[in-house]
Amino acid sequence: MGKLEIRDVSYIYGKDTPFEKLALDRVNAEFCDNCITGLIGHTGCGKSTLVQLLNGLLVPTQGKVFLDGQDINAKSVNRRELRFRVGLVFQYPEYQLFEETVQADIAFGPKNMGLDSEETARRVLSALHFVGLDETLLTVSPFDLSGGQKRRVAIAGVMAMQPEVLILDEPAAGLDPIGREEILGGIKSYQRARNSSVIIVSHSMEDMARYSDNIVVMSHGTVTAQGTCRDIFSNHELLTDAGLSIPQVTAFLAALRKNGIDVSKDIFTVDDAVKEIRSYMLRERNRA
Amino acid sequence: MAYFELENISFSYDESAEGGETKKVIDGVSLEIEKGSFVCVLGHNGSGKSTLAKILNLVLTPTSGRLVIGGKEVSGPEISEDEIFDIRRRIGMVFQNPDNQLVTTIVEEDVAFGPENLGVDPEEIRQRVDSALQTVGMSEYAKHSTHQLSGGQKQRVAIAGVLAMQPECIIFDESTAMLDPIGRRDIMSTIEYLNREREITVIHITHNMDEAVRADRIIVINDGKIYLDGTAKEVFSSVEKLRRVGLDVPQVTDLFYDLSPYLDLPSGVIDIEEGAAVLADRLKNGKA
Amino acid sequence: MLKDITMGQFFPGESLLHKMNPSLKIIATVLYIVAVFLCKSAAAFAFIFTITVLIIIVSGVPAKVILRSVRPLIFILVFTTVYNVFFTKGDTLLFSLGFVRVYREGVFNAVLIAVRILCLLVGSSVVLTYTTSPIMLTDGLETLLKPLTWIGVDVHTFAMMMSIALRFIPTLIEETDKIISAQKARGADFESGNLIRRARALIPILVPLFASSIRHAVDLATAMECRCYRGGRGRTKMTTLRPDAADWIVLLFFALLIPAAILLNVYVPFFSI
Repeated sequence: MGKLEIRDVSYIYGKDTPFEKLALDRVNAEFCDNCITGLIGHTGCGKSTLVQLLNGLLVPTQGKVFLDGQDINAKSVNRRELRFRVGLVFQYPEYQLFEETVQADIAFGPKNMGLDSEETARRVLSALHFVGLDETLLTVSPFDLSGGQKRRVAIAGVMAMQPEVLILDEPAAGLDPIGREEILGGIKSYQRARNSSVIIVSHSMEDMARYSDNIVVMSHGTVTAQGTCRDIFSNHELLTDAGLSIPQVTAFLAALRKNGIDVSKDIFTVDDAVKEIRSYMLRERNRA
Repeated sequence: MAYFELENISFSYDESAEGGETKKVIDGVSLEIEKGSFVCVLGHNGSGKSTLAKILNLVLTPTSGRLVIGGKEVSGPEISEDEIFDIRRRIGMVFQNPDNQLVTTIVEEDVAFGPENLGVDPEEIRQRVDSALQTVGMSEYAKHSTHQLSGGQKQRVAIAGVLAMQPECIIFDESTAMLDPIGRRDIMSTIEYLNREREITVIHITHNMDEAVRADRIIVINDGKIYLDGTAKEVFSSVEKLRRVGLDVPQVTDLFYDLSPYLDLPSGVIDIEEGAAVLADRLKNGKA
Repeated sequence: MLKDITMGQFFPGESLLHKMNPSLKIIATVLYIVAVFLCKSAAAFAFIFTITVLIIIVSGVPAKVILRSVRPLIFILVFTTVYNVFFTKGDTLLFSLGFVRVYREGVFNAVLIAVRILCLLVGSSVVLTYTTSPIMLTDGLETLLKPLTWIGVDVHTFAMMMSIALRFIPTLIEETDKIISAQKARGADFESGNLIRRARALIPILVPLFASSIRHAVDLATAMECRCYRGGRGRTKMTTLRPDAADWIVLLFFALLIPAAILLNVYVPFFSI
């Protein structure tokens, strides 16, 4: 069973108003424990609504959300504590920074959890390291940082709460390649070090192929597929139907096969493609 | 004929008042941009590429150097306000955040904003607005409220707003950075249409490599200087150099580069089909 | 949620009111408000209530929207009704409960004042904000205030500021919603504690909101400059607003509401307040 599970969940915005809109339609999905799940889909497919249901910011109109098998919307569950267990980083989180120093801003979450100052300081430092920022920045005002640095401070602010599940909505949106790699790499090392569960919402197939273990595909308010990267990315039709594209390198190997070169179609990263082509060359040489 | 001629252009923000050092954001840039061309400017965040764009339509005045636009020098101190506004009309600009460049609430009223400022005759404004909206495929949204549009649609309205001023050149300052893949695709095809069919000079600032390969020419900016300049093929041949300044190359280019120690492959391959044919040929003929 | 607020929103349409010249519409709204305030007798109120319903029907704004816009008013309506029922003294005692005495006059007052508040807010928003795009509204205001330029008031800039403010209301509401959710996700607590604690809890919302407003303003200023904005000088308008005959007739209709209300007060004076 997954760490987080949603069963038959529907969500309607502005219910009983003229602006009623069905955002999620009887969705079922499972998010694995101790791994990274990529949540992919085109804009307006319901990804952002779904992640807010996962930490109780929104309550499903119908259906249930389970964390470790427990219904998170049950009366016995404390909403605020739930949010400490399932941390959520919104899109463009740098716009939520407000404290005078980076230190204070990252400490906001841990302080709200009621942790003492020693533990808070420890967590702030550890989160700062995961996002790859320097300790000298702790005393700086977050408003004096560059865009990419602000983003990382905001992510550290949620990491410092050390949630069991960390959800990030488009954490690398609008960043340059180095910025993307630093943030996604930081998230991966955080996940490996803490053995926690991470969910990343993204529409970059290339990034998800590199950083996630499992994939959940959404389209028009429903989950259309879920499985390992291999399962999902080898199913080109499924992705095209969901308005998504396959990683460029996967498309390239498909074109190579069309040219009569027998290479695997389950290749999603450049490194794997290099290995596959080299092993093809070896196979051919041995045959000759 | 060159539309833009830059001779040793430098720019620094005056921070002497705050006690900061004056760092040159643009440092002695010399270059020419042909009329009717489609130029992509690449560079990581903070490389100075957006500053360069703002100099080109005189939102920022270069600290030193000579800037000639359409055969007329515009960098001298004797340039009048009227001339500056004429340059801004001829060189339109579309920004990154769609929410921060729409001035009014109704689509067609926003498109009319530019020509209204220019004092164009009301009947002509009407015609320009209608034709600009048609060009970007937003006619049916003319009376809609701007805040209900998607990001890509907002950017198309912003482009229409620039078109209604009948520009000779449009600068896109990371206009696709905040969009999803569908929005990006729409904007890119609009840009290509404007360049090919309307013969508008396009300068597209981005850090998306897949967008960059579609331009006639790529200029890479680093530390306020020109780092690389050439066709997509030429620029993407320098994989090492690009990586050194934090830029990516398309996955296919990357793959070819990584395979080059083992196979005799051309560099700077950017097209999937072409690349697959070349690689298949090499693998079959075993020129290892 | 903040997004549910409909007051002050614009509903596009093709009705007589939608097409009316905004300057005249502003005057019509003022006339309407005066007429509502002049109503004293039950007959006058019945008249103005009927007129308001008529206006709503003509405007084509969906009844659902109107009902929803009334929702935030319920508290005020209940409060004034209760206040009037219990605290108006009169001649005809209906019943008494302990020290509370309810008079017939009180009940009538309560009903009439509730009708007045309803007409005032619903009617004026239907006539003006629901049927006029913000830009038309500020254009109308700009035209009406034009005489003030003679005494040195920069009417154009004022109108531009108004329309930009209106333009950013939905954006900022959306952003506020997002910031509140983001801070909640970090465990911010807006619901418990005393007044000072609650006020302090607003800082994580207000600071980011302030920062983002400034960012919007700086970016927008650059964008406007790039689109050759240089104040009202030499500026033209795509739609020049010239009132036509229909506009003047509608205005006349609103002007006639005032004598009608006064006449009803005088000639049918039953249950006056």
